[in-house]
Amino acid sequence: MPLLDRSEYYDLIRTTNWTPSYVPEDELYPEEMSGSRGIPMEKWETFDEPYKVAYGEYVANQREKDAGAYSVKAALERSNFVDNADPGWISILKAHYGAISVPEYAAMTGEARMARFSKAPGNRNMAVFGMMDETRHGQIQLYFAHEHTRRSRQWDWAHKAMHANEWGALAARHFFDDMMMTRDAISVSLMLTFAFETGFTNMQFLGLAADAAQAGDHTFANLISSIQTDEARHAQQGGPNLKILIENGKKDEAQQMIDVAFWRSWKLFSVLTGPMMDYYTPLESREQSFKEFMQEWIIGQFERQITDLGLDTPWYWDEFIRALDETHHGMHLGVWYWRPTVWWNPAAGVTPEDRDWLEEKYPGWNDTWGNVWDLIIENLTEGRPELTGPATLPMICNMSNIPIVGTPSNGWNVKDYPLVHNGRLYHFGSEPDRWCFEQDPERYQGHLNFIDRFLAGWIQPPDLSGGLAYMGLAPGEIGDDAHNYEWVARYMPAQAAAS
Amino acid sequence: MALFPLSSNFEGDFVLQLVPVDDEQTMDEVAAACAEHSVNRRVRPQPDKVMRVRRHSTGDLFPRDMKVKDAGLMPTETVDIIFADS
Repeated sequence: MPLLDRSEYYDLIRTTNWTPSYVPEDELYPEEMSGSRGIPMEKWETFDEPYKVAYGEYVANQREKDAGAYSVKAALERSNFVDNADPGWISILKAHYGAISVPEYAAMTGEARMARFSKAPGNRNMAVFGMMDETRHGQIQLYFAHEHTRRSRQWDWAHKAMHANEWGALAARHFFDDMMMTRDAISVSLMLTFAFETGFTNMQFLGLAADAAQAGDHTFANLISSIQTDEARHAQQGGPNLKILIENGKKDEAQQMIDVAFWRSWKLFSVLTGPMMDYYTPLESREQSFKEFMQEWIIGQFERQITDLGLDTPWYWDEFIRALDETHHGMHLGVWYWRPTVWWNPAAGVTPEDRDWLEEKYPGWNDTWGNVWDLIIENLTEGRPELTGPATLPMICNMSNIPIVGTPSNGWNVKDYPLVHNGRLYHFGSEPDRWCFEQDPERYQGHLNFIDRFLAGWIQPPDLSGGLAYMGLAPGEIGDDAHNYEWVARYMPAQAAAS
Repeated sequence: MALFPLSSNFEGDFVLQLVPVDDEQTMDEVAAACAEHSVNRRVRPQPDKVMRVRRHSTGDLFPRDMKVKDAGLMPTETVDIIFADS
Protein backbone atom coordinates (compact mmCIF):
# COMPACT_ATOMS: atom_id res chain seq x y z
CA MET A 1 0.00 0.00 0.00
CA PRO A 2 1.45 3.42 -0.92
CA LEU A 3 1.87 5.68 2.08
CA LEU A 4 0.78 8.76 0.18
CA ASP A 5 -2.38 9.37 -1.76
CA ARG A 6 -1.64 9.59 -5.50
CA SER A 7 -2.75 13.19 -5.69
CA GLU A 8 -0.01 14.10 -3.21
CA TYR A 9 2.90 12.85 -5.33
CA TYR A 10 1.68 12.44 -8.90
CA ASP A 11 2.64 15.87 -10.20
CA LEU A 12 6.15 15.47 -8.82
CA ILE A 13 6.88 12.02 -10.22
CA ARG A 14 5.48 13.00 -13.58
CA THR A 15 7.97 15.84 -13.89
CA THR A 16 10.59 13.90 -15.79
CA ASN A 17 11.85 16.42 -18.33
CA TRP A 18 15.43 17.56 -17.93
CA THR A 19 17.92 19.70 -19.79
CA PRO A 20 20.08 17.33 -21.79
CA SER A 21 23.82 17.98 -21.69
CA TYR A 22 25.31 15.08 -23.65
CA VAL A 23 23.18 15.56 -26.80
CA PRO A 24 21.15 18.49 -28.07
CA GLU A 25 17.40 18.43 -27.50
CA ASP A 26 16.64 17.81 -31.16
CA GLU A 27 18.73 14.64 -31.08
CA LEU A 28 17.02 13.44 -27.94
CA TYR A 29 13.66 14.23 -29.51
CA PRO A 30 14.08 14.11 -33.31
CA GLU A 31 11.29 16.14 -34.88
CA GLU A 32 10.15 13.35 -37.21
CA MET A 33 9.51 11.13 -34.18
CA SER A 34 8.50 13.73 -31.63
CA GLY A 35 6.35 16.03 -33.76
CA SER A 36 6.71 18.96 -31.40
CA ARG A 37 6.23 21.38 -34.31
CA GLY A 38 8.50 24.05 -32.89
CA ILE A 39 6.51 24.33 -29.67
CA PRO A 40 9.02 24.67 -26.81
CA MET A 41 9.53 22.03 -24.14
CA GLU A 42 7.99 24.07 -21.35
CA LYS A 43 4.72 24.29 -23.25
CA TRP A 44 4.57 20.51 -23.53
CA GLU A 45 5.13 20.30 -19.79
CA THR A 46 1.68 21.81 -19.29
CA PHE A 47 0.15 18.54 -20.58
CA ASP A 48 -2.36 17.51 -17.94
CA GLU A 49 -4.08 14.20 -18.43
CA PRO A 50 -7.66 14.06 -17.15
CA TYR A 51 -7.35 10.41 -16.08
CA LYS A 52 -4.38 9.76 -13.84
CA VAL A 53 -2.97 6.46 -12.72
CA ALA A 54 0.21 5.29 -11.02
CA TYR A 55 2.00 2.02 -11.68
CA GLY A 56 0.95 0.18 -8.55
CA GLU A 57 -2.74 0.85 -9.00
CA TYR A 58 -2.47 0.18 -12.73
CA VAL A 59 -1.12 -3.30 -12.09
CA ALA A 60 -3.74 -4.02 -9.45
CA ASN A 61 -6.55 -2.81 -11.71
CA GLN A 62 -5.33 -4.74 -14.72
CA ARG A 63 -4.90 -7.91 -12.73
CA GLU A 64 -8.46 -7.62 -11.54
CA LYS A 65 -9.74 -7.00 -15.07
CA ASP A 66 -7.83 -9.93 -16.49
CA ALA A 67 -9.01 -12.18 -13.68
CA GLY A 68 -12.59 -11.20 -14.45
CA ALA A 69 -12.39 -11.77 -18.19
CA TYR A 70 -10.51 -15.07 -17.91
CA SER A 71 -12.84 -16.32 -15.17
CA VAL A 72 -15.92 -15.67 -17.26
CA LYS A 73 -14.29 -17.42 -20.20
CA ALA A 74 -13.35 -20.43 -18.06
CA ALA A 75 -16.76 -20.63 -16.45
CA LEU A 76 -18.63 -20.49 -19.73
CA GLU A 77 -16.35 -22.72 -21.79
CA ARG A 78 -18.39 -25.81 -20.97
CA SER A 79 -21.63 -24.19 -22.04
CA ASN A 80 -20.49 -24.49 -25.67
CA PHE A 81 -21.98 -21.14 -26.56
CA VAL A 82 -20.02 -21.02 -29.78
CA ASP A 83 -21.37 -24.37 -30.93
CA ASN A 84 -24.94 -23.30 -30.38
CA ALA A 85 -24.84 -19.61 -31.27
CA ASP A 86 -26.38 -18.14 -34.39
CA PRO A 87 -23.86 -18.47 -37.27
CA GLY A 88 -24.19 -14.74 -37.91
CA TRP A 89 -22.86 -14.06 -34.43
CA ILE A 90 -19.96 -16.47 -34.97
CA SER A 91 -19.06 -14.51 -38.10
CA ILE A 92 -18.89 -11.34 -36.02
CA LEU A 93 -16.41 -12.99 -33.68
CA LYS A 94 -14.22 -14.26 -36.53
CA ALA A 95 -14.25 -10.91 -38.35
CA HIS A 96 -13.58 -8.98 -35.14
CA TYR A 97 -10.67 -11.12 -33.97
CA GLY A 98 -9.00 -11.05 -37.39
CA ALA A 99 -9.38 -7.31 -37.85
CA ILE A 100 -8.54 -6.22 -34.31
CA SER A 101 -6.28 -8.64 -32.42
CA VAL A 102 -2.93 -8.19 -34.18
CA PRO A 103 -3.41 -4.45 -34.82
CA GLU A 104 -3.43 -4.14 -31.02
CA TYR A 105 0.30 -4.86 -31.21
CA ALA A 106 0.64 -2.14 -33.83
CA ALA A 107 -1.18 0.19 -31.43
CA MET A 108 1.40 -0.79 -28.83
CA THR A 109 4.07 0.55 -31.20
CA GLY A 110 2.16 3.82 -31.51
CA GLU A 111 1.96 4.07 -27.73
CA ALA A 112 5.68 3.31 -27.53
CA ARG A 113 6.39 6.21 -29.87
CA MET A 114 4.60 8.56 -27.47
CA ALA A 115 6.23 6.92 -24.45
CA ARG A 116 9.68 7.60 -25.88
CA PHE A 117 9.38 10.68 -28.07
CA SER A 118 6.61 12.90 -26.76
CA LYS A 119 8.01 16.02 -25.17
CA ALA A 120 5.11 16.03 -22.73
CA PRO A 121 6.10 14.08 -19.60
CA GLY A 122 2.48 13.29 -18.79
CA ASN A 123 1.99 11.92 -22.27
CA ARG A 124 5.06 9.70 -21.92
CA ASN A 125 3.83 8.41 -18.58
CA MET A 126 0.35 7.60 -19.82
CA ALA A 127 1.69 6.03 -22.98
CA VAL A 128 3.71 3.51 -20.96
CA PHE A 129 0.43 2.28 -19.54
CA GLY A 130 -1.04 2.47 -23.03
CA MET A 131 1.71 0.18 -24.30
CA MET A 132 0.88 -2.37 -21.65
CA ASP A 133 -2.84 -1.98 -22.38
CA GLU A 134 -2.36 -2.73 -26.06
CA THR A 135 -0.12 -5.70 -25.34
CA ARG A 136 -2.84 -7.07 -23.07
CA HIS A 137 -5.45 -6.51 -25.78
CA GLY A 138 -3.39 -8.33 -28.39
CA GLN A 139 -2.69 -11.26 -26.11
CA ILE A 140 -6.15 -11.69 -24.65
CA GLN A 141 -7.96 -11.50 -27.99
CA LEU A 142 -5.58 -13.94 -29.66
CA TYR A 143 -5.98 -16.27 -26.70
CA PHE A 144 -9.77 -16.10 -26.64
CA ALA A 145 -9.97 -16.86 -30.36
CA HIS A 146 -7.43 -19.65 -30.22
CA GLU A 147 -9.56 -22.19 -28.37
CA HIS A 148 -11.93 -22.20 -31.35
CA THR A 149 -9.34 -23.12 -33.99
CA ARG A 150 -10.37 -26.77 -33.53
CA ARG A 151 -13.81 -25.76 -34.78
CA SER A 152 -12.73 -24.11 -38.03
CA ARG A 153 -9.61 -22.75 -39.67
CA GLN A 154 -11.37 -19.41 -40.05
CA TRP A 155 -10.74 -18.79 -36.34
CA ASP A 156 -7.02 -18.96 -37.02
CA TRP A 157 -7.39 -15.72 -38.96
CA ALA A 158 -7.31 -13.94 -35.61
CA HIS A 159 -3.58 -14.36 -36.00
CA LYS A 160 -3.30 -14.78 -39.76
CA ALA A 161 -5.30 -11.89 -41.21
CA MET A 162 -2.79 -9.14 -40.68
CA HIS A 163 -0.05 -11.29 -42.18
CA ALA A 164 -2.06 -12.01 -45.34
CA ASN A 165 -2.93 -10.01 -48.45
CA GLU A 166 -6.66 -10.51 -48.03
CA TRP A 167 -8.31 -7.28 -49.24
CA GLY A 168 -9.96 -6.38 -45.92
CA ALA A 169 -6.69 -6.98 -44.12
CA LEU A 170 -4.93 -4.74 -46.65
CA ALA A 171 -7.48 -2.02 -45.90
CA ALA A 172 -7.04 -2.38 -42.14
CA ARG A 173 -3.23 -2.39 -42.40
CA HIS A 174 -3.18 0.66 -44.67
CA PHE A 175 -5.34 2.48 -42.14
CA PHE A 176 -3.51 1.41 -39.00
CA ASP A 177 -0.10 1.95 -40.61
CA ASP A 178 -1.18 5.47 -41.48
CA MET A 179 -2.61 6.32 -38.06
CA MET A 180 -0.17 4.75 -35.66
CA MET A 181 2.86 3.12 -37.27
CA THR A 182 4.20 5.94 -39.42
CA ARG A 183 3.42 9.14 -37.56
CA ASP A 184 5.24 11.23 -34.97
CA ALA A 185 4.22 11.01 -31.30
CA ILE A 186 1.88 14.00 -31.33
CA SER A 187 0.16 12.87 -34.52
CA VAL A 188 -0.36 9.42 -33.00
CA SER A 189 -1.95 11.00 -29.94
CA LEU A 190 -4.41 12.92 -32.11
CA MET A 191 -5.11 10.43 -34.87
CA LEU A 192 -5.02 7.16 -32.94
CA THR A 193 -6.02 8.01 -29.41
CA PHE A 194 -8.30 11.00 -29.98
CA ALA A 195 -9.95 10.44 -33.36
CA PHE A 196 -9.96 6.65 -33.54
CA GLU A 197 -10.15 5.54 -29.94
CA THR A 198 -12.32 8.28 -28.47
CA GLY A 199 -14.54 8.27 -31.50
CA PHE A 200 -14.72 4.77 -32.82
CA THR A 201 -13.48 2.07 -30.47
CA ASN A 202 -16.43 2.98 -28.26
CA MET A 203 -18.58 1.72 -31.11
CA GLN A 204 -16.75 -1.56 -31.52
CA PHE A 205 -16.17 -2.29 -27.85
CA LEU A 206 -19.25 -0.87 -26.14
CA GLY A 207 -21.84 -1.00 -28.93
CA LEU A 208 -20.89 -4.53 -29.85
CA ALA A 209 -20.69 -5.51 -26.17
CA ALA A 210 -24.34 -4.53 -25.84
CA ASP A 211 -25.23 -6.76 -28.79
CA ALA A 212 -23.05 -9.56 -27.36
CA ALA A 213 -24.85 -9.46 -24.04
CA GLN A 214 -28.19 -9.55 -25.85
CA ALA A 215 -26.98 -12.51 -27.90
CA GLY A 216 -25.95 -14.36 -24.72
CA ASP A 217 -22.22 -14.20 -25.51
CA HIS A 218 -21.12 -13.14 -22.06
CA THR A 219 -17.52 -14.19 -22.67
CA PHE A 220 -17.14 -11.78 -25.59
CA ALA A 221 -19.19 -9.05 -23.92
CA ASN A 222 -16.97 -9.26 -20.86
CA LEU A 223 -13.77 -9.36 -22.91
CA ILE A 224 -14.45 -6.31 -25.02
CA SER A 225 -15.90 -4.33 -22.12
CA SER A 226 -12.69 -5.09 -20.22
CA ILE A 227 -10.66 -3.78 -23.16
CA GLN A 228 -12.78 -0.66 -23.42
CA THR A 229 -11.99 0.35 -19.85
CA ASP A 230 -8.34 0.64 -20.92
CA GLU A 231 -9.27 2.49 -24.09
CA ALA A 232 -11.30 4.99 -22.10
CA ARG A 233 -8.15 5.86 -20.16
CA HIS A 234 -5.44 5.91 -22.80
CA ALA A 235 -7.68 7.56 -25.41
CA GLN A 236 -7.38 10.69 -23.30
CA GLN A 237 -3.82 11.42 -24.40
CA GLY A 238 -4.94 13.27 -27.49
CA GLY A 239 -7.04 15.91 -25.75
CA PRO A 240 -4.25 17.60 -23.74
CA ASN A 241 -1.92 17.59 -26.76
CA LEU A 242 -4.69 19.05 -28.88
CA LYS A 243 -5.08 21.83 -26.32
CA ILE A 244 -1.36 22.61 -26.47
CA LEU A 245 -1.36 22.65 -30.28
CA ILE A 246 -4.33 25.03 -30.40
CA GLU A 247 -2.85 27.34 -27.75
CA ASN A 248 0.33 27.55 -29.78
CA GLY A 249 -1.15 28.42 -33.13
CA LYS A 250 -1.33 24.94 -34.62
CA LYS A 251 -5.09 24.56 -34.81
CA ASP A 252 -5.18 24.11 -38.59
CA GLU A 253 -2.64 21.30 -38.44
CA ALA A 254 -4.51 19.62 -35.61
CA GLN A 255 -7.82 19.98 -37.43
CA GLN A 256 -6.36 18.41 -40.56
CA MET A 257 -5.05 15.39 -38.63
CA ILE A 258 -8.39 14.85 -36.90
CA ASP A 259 -10.29 15.23 -40.15
CA VAL A 260 -8.11 12.66 -41.95
CA ALA A 261 -8.16 10.18 -39.07
CA PHE A 262 -11.88 10.50 -38.45
CA TRP A 263 -12.84 9.90 -42.09
CA ARG A 264 -10.49 6.98 -42.42
CA SER A 265 -11.85 5.45 -39.20
CA TRP A 266 -15.42 5.86 -40.42
CA LYS A 267 -14.70 4.06 -43.68
CA LEU A 268 -13.09 1.11 -41.89
CA PHE A 269 -16.05 0.86 -39.53
CA SER A 270 -18.49 1.01 -42.45
CA VAL A 271 -17.13 -2.30 -43.70
CA LEU A 272 -16.38 -3.94 -40.35
CA THR A 273 -18.90 -2.80 -37.75
CA GLY A 274 -21.82 -1.70 -39.92
CA PRO A 275 -22.56 -5.14 -41.42
CA MET A 276 -22.02 -6.78 -38.02
CA MET A 277 -24.61 -4.64 -36.29
CA ASP A 278 -27.27 -4.40 -38.99
CA TYR A 279 -27.01 -7.77 -40.72
CA TYR A 280 -24.95 -10.37 -38.79
CA THR A 281 -26.33 -9.84 -35.29
CA PRO A 282 -29.51 -11.90 -34.95
CA LEU A 283 -32.52 -9.62 -35.19
CA GLU A 284 -33.72 -10.30 -31.65
CA SER A 285 -30.29 -9.39 -30.23
CA ARG A 286 -29.84 -6.02 -31.92
CA GLU A 287 -29.61 -3.30 -29.29
CA GLN A 288 -29.71 -0.46 -31.81
CA SER A 289 -29.02 0.00 -35.50
CA PHE A 290 -25.50 0.88 -36.64
CA LYS A 291 -26.77 4.33 -37.55
CA GLU A 292 -28.28 4.80 -34.09
CA PHE A 293 -25.04 3.73 -32.43
CA MET A 294 -23.15 6.15 -34.68
CA GLN A 295 -25.58 8.94 -33.85
CA GLU A 296 -25.18 8.31 -30.13
CA TRP A 297 -21.45 7.67 -29.89
CA ILE A 298 -20.09 9.72 -32.75
CA ILE A 299 -22.50 12.51 -33.56
CA GLY A 300 -23.60 12.98 -29.98
CA GLN A 301 -20.42 12.46 -27.98
CA PHE A 302 -17.48 12.91 -30.34
CA GLU A 303 -18.88 16.03 -31.98
CA ARG A 304 -19.30 17.60 -28.55
CA GLN A 305 -15.75 16.69 -27.58
CA ILE A 306 -14.12 18.22 -30.63
CA THR A 307 -16.08 21.43 -30.36
CA ASP A 308 -15.43 21.66 -26.59
CA LEU A 309 -11.71 21.45 -27.32
CA GLY A 310 -11.90 24.31 -29.78
CA LEU A 311 -11.92 22.43 -33.07
CA ASP A 312 -14.56 22.58 -35.77
CA THR A 313 -16.59 19.64 -36.94
CA PRO A 314 -14.83 18.19 -40.01
CA TRP A 315 -15.64 20.01 -43.26
CA TYR A 316 -17.33 16.87 -44.63
CA TRP A 317 -19.72 16.48 -41.67
CA ASP A 318 -22.87 16.72 -43.82
CA GLU A 319 -21.54 14.06 -46.18
CA PHE A 320 -20.64 11.85 -43.20
CA ILE A 321 -24.17 12.10 -41.81
CA ARG A 322 -25.65 11.37 -45.24
CA ALA A 323 -23.37 8.35 -45.68
CA LEU A 324 -24.71 6.77 -42.46
CA ASP A 325 -27.73 5.73 -44.51
CA GLU A 326 -25.71 4.28 -47.34
CA THR A 327 -22.09 3.15 -47.10
CA HIS A 328 -22.35 0.18 -44.78
CA HIS A 329 -25.29 -1.26 -46.73
CA GLY A 330 -23.06 -1.24 -49.81
CA MET A 331 -20.14 -2.73 -47.91
CA HIS A 332 -22.38 -5.48 -46.60
CA LEU A 333 -23.80 -6.31 -50.01
CA GLY A 334 -20.28 -6.31 -51.45
CA VAL A 335 -18.85 -8.53 -48.73
CA TRP A 336 -21.74 -10.97 -49.09
CA TYR A 337 -21.51 -11.02 -52.91
CA TRP A 338 -17.71 -11.47 -52.85
CA ARG A 339 -18.03 -13.81 -49.85
CA PRO A 340 -15.29 -16.26 -50.92
CA THR A 341 -12.79 -13.43 -50.38
CA VAL A 342 -13.26 -13.03 -46.62
CA TRP A 343 -12.18 -15.22 -43.69
CA TRP A 344 -15.63 -15.35 -42.14
CA ASN A 345 -19.04 -16.44 -43.40
CA PRO A 346 -21.13 -13.34 -44.09
CA ALA A 347 -24.73 -13.54 -42.90
CA ALA A 348 -27.09 -12.14 -45.53
CA GLY A 349 -29.46 -10.79 -42.90
CA VAL A 350 -32.35 -10.27 -45.30
CA THR A 351 -35.19 -12.50 -44.11
CA PRO A 352 -38.61 -10.81 -44.39
CA GLU A 353 -38.39 -9.81 -40.71
CA ASP A 354 -34.87 -8.47 -41.16
CA ARG A 355 -36.09 -6.41 -44.07
CA ASP A 356 -38.94 -4.94 -42.08
CA TRP A 357 -36.41 -3.87 -39.47
CA LEU A 358 -34.07 -2.42 -42.10
CA GLU A 359 -36.94 -0.49 -43.68
CA GLU A 360 -37.92 0.88 -40.28
CA LYS A 361 -34.37 1.92 -39.42
CA TYR A 362 -33.45 3.06 -42.93
CA PRO A 363 -36.61 4.23 -44.72
CA GLY A 364 -36.33 3.48 -48.43
CA TRP A 365 -34.13 0.41 -47.93
CA ASN A 366 -36.54 -1.87 -49.81
CA ASP A 367 -36.74 0.48 -52.78
CA THR A 368 -32.97 0.53 -53.20
CA TRP A 369 -30.91 -2.21 -51.54
CA GLY A 370 -33.96 -4.40 -51.24
CA ASN A 371 -34.48 -4.45 -55.01
CA VAL A 372 -30.95 -5.79 -55.48
CA TRP A 373 -31.49 -8.44 -52.81
CA ASP A 374 -34.77 -9.39 -54.52
CA LEU A 375 -32.84 -10.31 -57.66
CA ILE A 376 -30.22 -12.21 -55.67
CA ILE A 377 -32.99 -14.10 -53.87
CA GLU A 378 -34.69 -14.91 -57.18
CA ASN A 379 -31.44 -16.29 -58.51
CA LEU A 380 -31.08 -18.47 -55.43
CA THR A 381 -34.68 -19.71 -55.36
CA GLU A 382 -34.72 -20.38 -59.10
CA GLY A 383 -31.48 -22.31 -59.23
CA ARG A 384 -29.00 -19.76 -60.56
CA PRO A 385 -26.49 -19.55 -57.67
CA GLU A 386 -23.65 -18.82 -60.12
CA LEU A 387 -25.17 -15.37 -60.59
CA THR A 388 -24.88 -14.61 -56.88
CA GLY A 389 -21.10 -14.72 -56.66
CA PRO A 390 -18.17 -12.82 -58.08
CA ALA A 391 -17.03 -12.97 -61.72
CA THR A 392 -14.78 -9.92 -61.56
CA LEU A 393 -13.38 -7.56 -58.93
CA PRO A 394 -14.95 -4.46 -57.44
CA MET A 395 -13.01 -1.24 -57.95
CA ILE A 396 -11.17 -0.36 -54.75
CA CYS A 397 -10.65 3.09 -53.27
CA ASN A 398 -7.01 4.20 -53.22
CA MET A 399 -7.46 5.68 -49.74
CA SER A 400 -9.81 3.40 -47.80
CA ASN A 401 -8.83 0.29 -49.80
CA ILE A 402 -12.42 -0.92 -49.70
CA PRO A 403 -14.88 -1.10 -52.62
CA ILE A 404 -16.32 2.03 -54.19
CA VAL A 405 -20.04 1.82 -53.53
CA GLY A 406 -23.20 3.91 -53.62
CA THR A 407 -26.93 3.43 -53.49
CA PRO A 408 -28.35 1.10 -56.16
CA SER A 409 -31.65 0.69 -57.98
CA ASN A 410 -34.12 3.55 -57.64
CA GLY A 411 -31.64 5.66 -55.71
CA TRP A 412 -28.71 5.03 -58.08
CA ASN A 413 -25.93 7.48 -57.26
CA VAL A 414 -22.70 5.48 -57.54
CA LYS A 415 -19.81 7.80 -58.23
CA ASP A 416 -16.07 7.63 -58.72
CA TYR A 417 -13.87 10.44 -57.40
CA PRO A 418 -10.82 10.13 -59.63
CA LEU A 419 -7.52 11.98 -59.43
CA VAL A 420 -4.60 11.95 -61.86
CA HIS A 421 -1.43 12.42 -59.87
CA ASN A 422 2.01 12.18 -61.47
CA GLY A 423 0.44 10.48 -64.49
CA ARG A 424 -1.30 7.76 -62.46
CA LEU A 425 -5.08 7.55 -62.27
CA TYR A 426 -6.28 7.02 -58.72
CA HIS A 427 -9.85 6.15 -57.75
CA PHE A 428 -11.60 7.21 -54.56
CA GLY A 429 -14.93 6.28 -53.02
CA SER A 430 -15.83 9.78 -51.85
CA GLU A 431 -14.71 13.39 -51.89
CA PRO A 432 -13.23 13.10 -48.37
CA ASP A 433 -11.23 10.01 -49.40
CA ARG A 434 -9.74 11.98 -52.29
CA TRP A 435 -9.16 14.95 -49.99
CA CYS A 436 -7.21 12.75 -47.53
CA PHE A 437 -4.91 11.72 -50.38
CA GLU A 438 -4.45 15.32 -51.50
CA GLN A 439 -3.31 16.39 -48.02
CA ASP A 440 -0.12 14.36 -48.42
CA PRO A 441 0.20 12.70 -51.84
CA GLU A 442 3.81 11.65 -51.27
CA ARG A 443 2.71 9.63 -48.30
CA TYR A 444 0.10 7.61 -50.17
CA GLN A 445 1.04 7.67 -53.86
CA GLY A 446 3.19 4.55 -53.92
CA HIS A 447 0.68 2.17 -52.39
CA LEU A 448 -0.92 -0.40 -54.67
CA ASN A 449 -4.43 -1.44 -53.76
CA PHE A 450 -5.80 -4.87 -54.62
CA ILE A 451 -6.87 -3.79 -58.14
CA ASP A 452 -3.50 -2.12 -58.81
CA ARG A 453 -1.79 -5.36 -57.79
CA PHE A 454 -4.09 -7.38 -60.02
CA LEU A 455 -3.35 -5.13 -63.01
CA ALA A 456 0.38 -5.22 -62.23
CA GLY A 457 0.31 -8.98 -62.70
CA TRP A 458 0.96 -9.85 -59.06
CA ILE A 459 -2.07 -12.14 -58.94
CA GLN A 460 -1.72 -15.30 -60.98
CA PRO A 461 -3.65 -16.85 -62.52
CA PRO A 462 -5.64 -13.62 -62.94
CA ASP A 463 -8.94 -15.11 -61.79
CA LEU A 464 -10.78 -15.96 -58.58
CA SER A 465 -8.52 -18.91 -57.80
CA GLY A 466 -5.42 -16.76 -58.22
CA GLY A 467 -7.01 -14.03 -56.14
CA LEU A 468 -7.83 -16.41 -53.30
CA ALA A 469 -4.31 -17.85 -53.41
CA TYR A 470 -2.82 -14.35 -53.28
CA MET A 471 -5.04 -13.51 -50.33
CA GLY A 472 -3.96 -16.66 -48.50
CA LEU A 473 -7.48 -18.05 -48.35
CA ALA A 474 -7.29 -21.82 -48.39
CA PRO A 475 -10.15 -24.32 -48.51
CA GLY A 476 -11.81 -24.30 -45.10
CA GLU A 477 -11.07 -20.61 -44.72
CA ILE A 478 -12.95 -19.24 -47.73
CA GLY A 479 -16.18 -17.51 -46.77
CA ASP A 480 -19.66 -18.66 -47.71
CA ASP A 481 -23.18 -17.77 -46.58
CA ALA A 482 -23.25 -17.99 -42.77
CA HIS A 483 -26.56 -19.84 -42.64
CA ASN A 484 -25.80 -22.11 -45.58
CA TYR A 485 -28.63 -20.38 -47.51
CA GLU A 486 -31.30 -21.79 -45.19
CA TRP A 487 -32.89 -18.33 -45.05
CA VAL A 488 -33.59 -18.57 -48.80
CA ALA A 489 -36.25 -21.18 -48.06
CA ARG A 490 -38.35 -18.38 -46.58
CA TYR A 491 -38.70 -17.05 -50.11
CA MET A 492 -39.57 -20.35 -51.79
CA PRO A 493 -43.13 -20.04 -53.18
CA ALA A 494 -44.60 -22.70 -50.87
CA GLN A 495 -42.87 -21.32 -47.78
CA ALA A 496 -43.71 -17.74 -48.63
CA ALA A 497 -47.36 -18.64 -49.08
CA ALA A 498 -47.39 -20.44 -45.73
CA SER A 499 -45.79 -17.57 -43.82
CA MET B 1 -5.56 -5.66 -80.07
CA ALA B 2 -4.72 -4.82 -76.50
CA LEU B 3 -6.37 -5.52 -73.21
CA PHE B 4 -7.85 -2.34 -71.76
CA PRO B 5 -9.17 -2.31 -68.17
CA LEU B 6 -12.17 -0.12 -67.45
CA SER B 7 -14.14 0.69 -64.34
CA SER B 8 -17.81 -0.09 -64.98
CA ASN B 9 -20.47 2.02 -63.29
CA PHE B 10 -23.64 0.21 -64.35
CA GLU B 11 -26.97 1.97 -63.96
CA GLY B 12 -28.83 0.59 -60.96
CA ASP B 13 -25.87 -1.35 -59.55
CA PHE B 14 -24.23 -0.53 -56.22
CA VAL B 15 -20.53 -0.86 -56.95
CA LEU B 16 -17.88 0.03 -59.52
CA GLN B 17 -16.37 -3.08 -61.11
CA LEU B 18 -13.20 -3.83 -63.02
CA VAL B 19 -14.04 -4.97 -66.55
CA PRO B 20 -11.24 -5.81 -68.97
CA VAL B 21 -12.14 -5.11 -72.61
CA ASP B 22 -10.20 -5.03 -75.86
CA ASP B 23 -9.29 -1.64 -77.25
CA GLU B 24 -10.65 -2.70 -80.66
CA GLN B 25 -14.10 -3.26 -79.20
CA THR B 26 -16.93 -0.84 -79.84
CA MET B 27 -18.87 0.92 -77.13
CA ASP B 28 -21.82 -1.43 -77.69
CA GLU B 29 -19.46 -4.30 -77.03
CA VAL B 30 -18.13 -2.55 -73.92
CA ALA B 31 -21.69 -2.14 -72.67
CA ALA B 32 -22.35 -5.83 -73.24
CA ALA B 33 -19.12 -6.80 -71.43
CA CYS B 34 -20.04 -4.62 -68.45
CA ALA B 35 -23.61 -5.96 -68.45
CA GLU B 36 -22.24 -9.47 -67.92
CA HIS B 37 -21.18 -8.40 -64.43
CA SER B 38 -24.34 -6.54 -63.41
CA VAL B 39 -27.43 -7.52 -65.40
CA ASN B 40 -29.33 -10.51 -64.02
CA ARG B 41 -26.97 -10.41 -61.04
CA ARG B 42 -28.01 -7.22 -59.28
CA VAL B 43 -29.70 -5.24 -62.05
CA ARG B 44 -32.81 -6.35 -63.94
CA PRO B 45 -32.54 -6.36 -67.75
CA GLN B 46 -34.44 -3.74 -69.75
CA PRO B 47 -34.95 -5.45 -73.10
CA ASP B 48 -36.77 -2.50 -74.62
CA LYS B 49 -33.77 -0.23 -74.06
CA VAL B 50 -30.28 -0.04 -75.46
CA MET B 51 -27.25 0.16 -73.25
CA ARG B 52 -25.10 3.21 -73.90
CA VAL B 53 -21.65 4.07 -72.62
CA ARG B 54 -20.80 7.53 -71.38
CA ARG B 55 -17.76 9.15 -69.88
CA HIS B 56 -18.27 9.20 -66.12
CA SER B 57 -16.44 12.47 -65.55
CA THR B 58 -18.45 14.49 -68.10
CA GLY B 59 -21.63 12.50 -68.76
CA ASP B 60 -20.98 12.66 -72.52
CA LEU B 61 -22.28 9.66 -74.46
CA PHE B 62 -19.83 7.87 -76.70
CA PRO B 63 -21.03 6.93 -80.23
CA ARG B 64 -22.18 3.34 -80.18
CA ASP B 65 -19.68 2.26 -82.85
CA MET B 66 -16.72 4.15 -81.41
CA LYS B 67 -13.78 1.90 -80.59
CA VAL B 68 -12.24 2.00 -77.13
CA LYS B 69 -8.85 3.01 -78.56
CA ASP B 70 -10.44 6.11 -80.15
CA ALA B 71 -12.32 7.26 -77.05
CA GLY B 72 -9.42 8.94 -75.26
CA LEU B 73 -10.00 6.92 -72.11
CA MET B 74 -7.27 6.23 -69.56
CA PRO B 75 -6.80 2.64 -68.40
CA THR B 76 -9.16 1.96 -65.46
CA GLU B 77 -11.15 5.14 -66.16
CA THR B 78 -14.75 4.86 -65.04
CA VAL B 79 -17.50 4.71 -67.66
CA ASP B 80 -21.23 4.75 -66.99
CA ILE B 81 -23.41 2.19 -68.72
CA ILE B 82 -26.94 3.50 -68.88
CA PHE B 83 -30.21 2.30 -70.33
CA ALA B 84 -31.38 4.61 -73.13
CA ASP B 85 -34.05 4.66 -75.82
CA SER B 86 -31.51 4.78 -78.65
